[in-house]
Amino acid sequence: MALPLEIKDLEVRAGTRTLLKVGDLSAPAGALIGIRGPSGAGKSTFLHALSGLIEVRGRLCWGEVDLARLRPERRTAFRAHNMGLIFQDFLLFEELSPQANAGLSGLFRTRHDRAPIATRAAEGLARLGVPQGNRTVGSFSGGERQRVAIARALATDPGLLLADEPTASLDRRAADALIEDLTGLLRAGGKTLIAVSHDAHLLERLDRVLTIEDGKVTDDTGVQAA
Amino acid sequence: MRDSWDSLPVLAQDLIIAGALLLPLLVIGGILLRGFRPLPLVRALMWRFRWANLLFVLLIAVSTGMGIGLIAQERGLRTGSAQAAEKFDLVVTAPGSELTMMLAAVFLQPSAVPLLDGAAYDRIANHPQVQIAAPIAFGDSHDGAPVVGTIAEFVTYLSDGQIEGRIFARSGEAVVGAAIDLRIGDRFTPAHGRGSGADAEAHDGVGIEVVGRMARSGSPWDRAILIPVETVWEVHGLANGHPFEDGDRIGPPFTPELFPGTPAVIVHAGELWANYALRSEFTVAGETMAFFPGTVLADLYRVMGDVRQAMSVMSIVTQVLVAASVLLGLFILTRLFQRQLAMLRALGAPRRFVMAVVWGYGVTLLVAGTMLGLAFGYAAALVLSRIVTHRTDVLVTATITWAEVNLALGFLSAMSVLSLVPALVVLTRPVVENLRQ
Ligand SMILES: Nc1ncnc2c1ncn2[C@@H]1O[C@H](COP(=O)(O)OP(=O)(O)OP(=O)(O)O)[C@@H](O)[C@H]1O
Ligand SMILES: [Mg+2]
Repeated sequence: MALPLEIKDLEVRAGTRTLLKVGDLSAPAGALIGIRGPSGAGKSTFLHALSGLIEVRGRLCWGEVDLARLRPERRTAFRAHNMGLIFQDFLLFEELSPQANAGLSGLFRTRHDRAPIATRAAEGLARLGVPQGNRTVGSFSGGERQRVAIARALATDPGLLLADEPTASLDRRAADALIEDLTGLLRAGGKTLIAVSHDAHLLERLDRVLTIEDGKVTDDTGVQAA
Repeated sequence: MRDSWDSLPVLAQDLIIAGALLLPLLVIGGILLRGFRPLPLVRALMWRFRWANLLFVLLIAVSTGMGIGLIAQERGLRTGSAQAAEKFDLVVTAPGSELTMMLAAVFLQPSAVPLLDGAAYDRIANHPQVQIAAPIAFGDSHDGAPVVGTIAEFVTYLSDGQIEGRIFARSGEAVVGAAIDLRIGDRFTPAHGRGSGADAEAHDGVGIEVVGRMARSGSPWDRAILIPVETVWEVHGLANGHPFEDGDRIGPPFTPELFPGTPAVIVHAGELWANYALRSEFTVAGETMAFFPGTVLADLYRVMGDVRQAMSVMSIVTQVLVAASVLLGLFILTRLFQRQLAMLRALGAPRRFVMAVVWGYGVTLLVAGTMLGLAFGYAAALVLSRIVTHRTDVLVTATITWAEVNLALGFLSAMSVLSLVPALVVLTRPVVENLRQ
């Protein structure tokens, strides 16, 4: 189930340095949001904050849950049940088949969750047109790998998908095809996407684009594509 | 508590010890793995680092195998040599080194040994407590096998009467050991001396006929050819211990004046308790020396035990070093996998799962190495035993007992606890840092 986002006075610090400061920000469930900005601006940091991977101050609520007030292991559990993550360099297990990679979460989830995860992984792979069979992903192209990573992120049926430069390692054609399939899949499932990207082709397909500069949200084109 | 433990069968005790040794491993495994399925990822790690893994497994296997093989081999040698010497209660020789005399008289190792004269033999043979006083006369050989002169009674005693064919009944007949390549009815001419210096022509014209074969005993006597001691003397042109009037009679009693001498006399007492008295009685300064081969062996085992101990310490040190390098290797290899492991955490995997993967990987290597090590140890002991048996004819059997298995299991268990260290270290760095690489 997708959850609405509500942020108030969010602050991320490293030692004495403030990496990120976001005053007010909210988004409805099911919004597709892009984040852009220069290198070192704090985009990845924002994504890490949203996924509960780092400590934050202020309020960072997904629905009723304020990640700023949860202990790390509780945030991990929240992530396991509500979020899918996608990385620029996929981070797959090269030695495993696409199905094993996509169903990875089943390895540490309860017995009860395992079968549905495996089923959704297989469905996701099929929908994204990933080559089937026992080939390991070590021999896959970049585009194919990122599709496996997306199937992995969606196998737990999360409401939120967080992506850091999902198309940056792909060539134009592969990136465009992926953007098409990804946004289609997310809209069909009513899922929320927050994607850090420089890819104009991706950003123009989203509902809203935030610009982060020097640790602050400097632009919010929330109305642009709505 | 103590009593109920002692009342358990040995196997049950060993199994309990094995279980107790494995307990840490099982407990950690149970806690870490419960509810998880880390196996596919462990397999991925195994495959990713296959050459390094193979090296680790071999290192563990060789270091474990060395220790085990050493212990097994030493035990095999002890039991084998003790068994080979079992029939030799008391040996009487001219004064000298007990070890040399024992090796010559009991293990039939070639050596030049001074002789006992007829008077000395007579005194031993006529002692009321002595049941068998067997002269042992060696020096000749056939086809590399020692030809030993003795008396029929001793051959019967040595083989427990298990002789195919019959015992020698007159001079010129022979009973062969089980490993001798001669059949009953075959004839041979003994060579003078043994080994490469043997002179095949010295006894030309002498023909000895094989009339019997002893059952296998697992001692050097399996490769010996036993003939009447009279034959040995006759072949060397000496008196044969009997006056002419006695005709072709062989065996005791011998006439002291016609007794050319024997390097050793094997004494078997009528009663076991008499042996100590006999030993002191037959130990006469400057004339004769009496000793128990069992005692000489025990001294030898003590030395062997010390050597074993020193080697054991070295093998344990080796094992610890191997353990340390394997742990270090695990640590380095998991570093290479750190981004994937961080990704697992980002996907929502609990810490315990990541630990289960890293620990499971380490323990898989350890278990594989230890199992292979047990096999190596057994194989090494087997090969060494073969070599020793072949060289000495002392039947050495290689066995792996629970002591060795438990040693290996203890090592495995200790290492499995230490494998928690790389697993924990992986978790110390923040997930985000690892994701950023
Ligand atoms: N733990 C930390 N301690 C100190 N500084 C940090 C820490 N983590 C990140 N930073 C700094 O915060 C800033 C923002 O980093 P971040 O990775 O969010 O940038 P980004 O916008 O994703 O850049 P890029 O487009 O290059 O990926 C950088 O200057 C980075 O060096
Ligand atoms: Mg970044």
